Amino acid sequence: MAKTYDYLFKLLLIGDSGVGKTSILFRFSEDAFNISFISTIGIDFKIRTIDLDGKKVKLQIWDTAGQERFRTITTAYYRGSMGIMLVYDVTNEKSFENIKNWIRNIEENASADVEKMILGNKCDLEAKRQVSKERGEQLAVEYQIKFIETSAKDSLNVESAFYTLARDIKAKMEKKQKEASNPAGARSGGHQLRNEPQRKPTSWLSRCSLL
Amino acid sequence: MSEVENNETPVQNEEKDYVEDGKNKFIVKCKFCGSRILDKKSAKYITIEKDLPLMQQDNNRKEGEIQNESVNEFYHVENMYTFENIGFTHTVANCKYLSCADCDAGPVGYYDNDTKHSYVAISRIVHA
Repeated sequence: MAKTYDYLFKLLLIGDSGVGKTSILFRFSEDAFNISFISTIGIDFKIRTIDLDGKKVKLQIWDTAGQERFRTITTAYYRGSMGIMLVYDVTNEKSFENIKNWIRNIEENASADVEKMILGNKCDLEAKRQVSKERGEQLAVEYQIKFIETSAKDSLNVESAFYTLARDIKAKMEKKQKEASNPAGARSGGHQLRNEPQRKPTSWLSRCSLL
Repeated sequence: MSEVENNETPVQNEEKDYVEDGKNKFIVKCKFCGSRILDKKSAKYITIEKDLPLMQQDNNRKEGEIQNESVNEFYHVENMYTFENIGFTHTVANCKYLSCADCDAGPVGYYDNDTKHSYVAISRIVHA
């Protein structure tokens, strides 16, 4: 069958238990379906189709299915993933500190050029906040990763976070394709990428350039 | 409606006004929130008989009991990436149930882990 899309990206949600990864994937709406059959089984992954600059992009988004309880995610789970959402809970200091461990786990198990983004979830719970937005931003700068605070409960910034991550993966792929078609830069695109100066950690909001 | 058949059968075009050339003539959407599940003409119409758990289970049912109904009209999707927006549950008895990616209503169909094909129950979606 003819391919009906331009890109397919596999994305993962990673982070400690209880930070709201499942809520990001699964809305558990407060209405009629909270007693539904689906909520008792749980969602493995979702497929979403988005439009990015005129290209049809399919996102396959996976939850960790409880693997995170073992504080590590296996290589198999990372296989083929092109983007990772690192999620912590702004009301849980420990989950924030563990982001560094998750980044290490990704470095050890995932593809070297996987795109990453940090999400500070549950930002609707201001009274219970333990991690300031500034600390989140600081961590993101340190690792040269984009950052945004989200509220899965209020659907705040969740969609835009996925768009941002997808756009970055697309830009990276297009850059690689360009390099591959250019004989001078044809060898080892991944190596070249690593030698380049990293993208400046500007606020993700102000960023709209593709490359 | 014609008799239910146990095997996949090619549809007679004149039978269903939502089928054209054996495929879904219209966009397939979630009944509850309108989320777009399939583009038009992206899936094959088939009739097979399958028990699917009810979307809304009776609150007074016995614990652990699952209420099913028999469904016999489906859109057959061979490649999961044909879907516009859809959720896949964890595996139960070698299949995954399909749910709306936006409101999580479901099952709107099932996915067979062996064949890797998906089946959308026509009685559980709307056409647009």
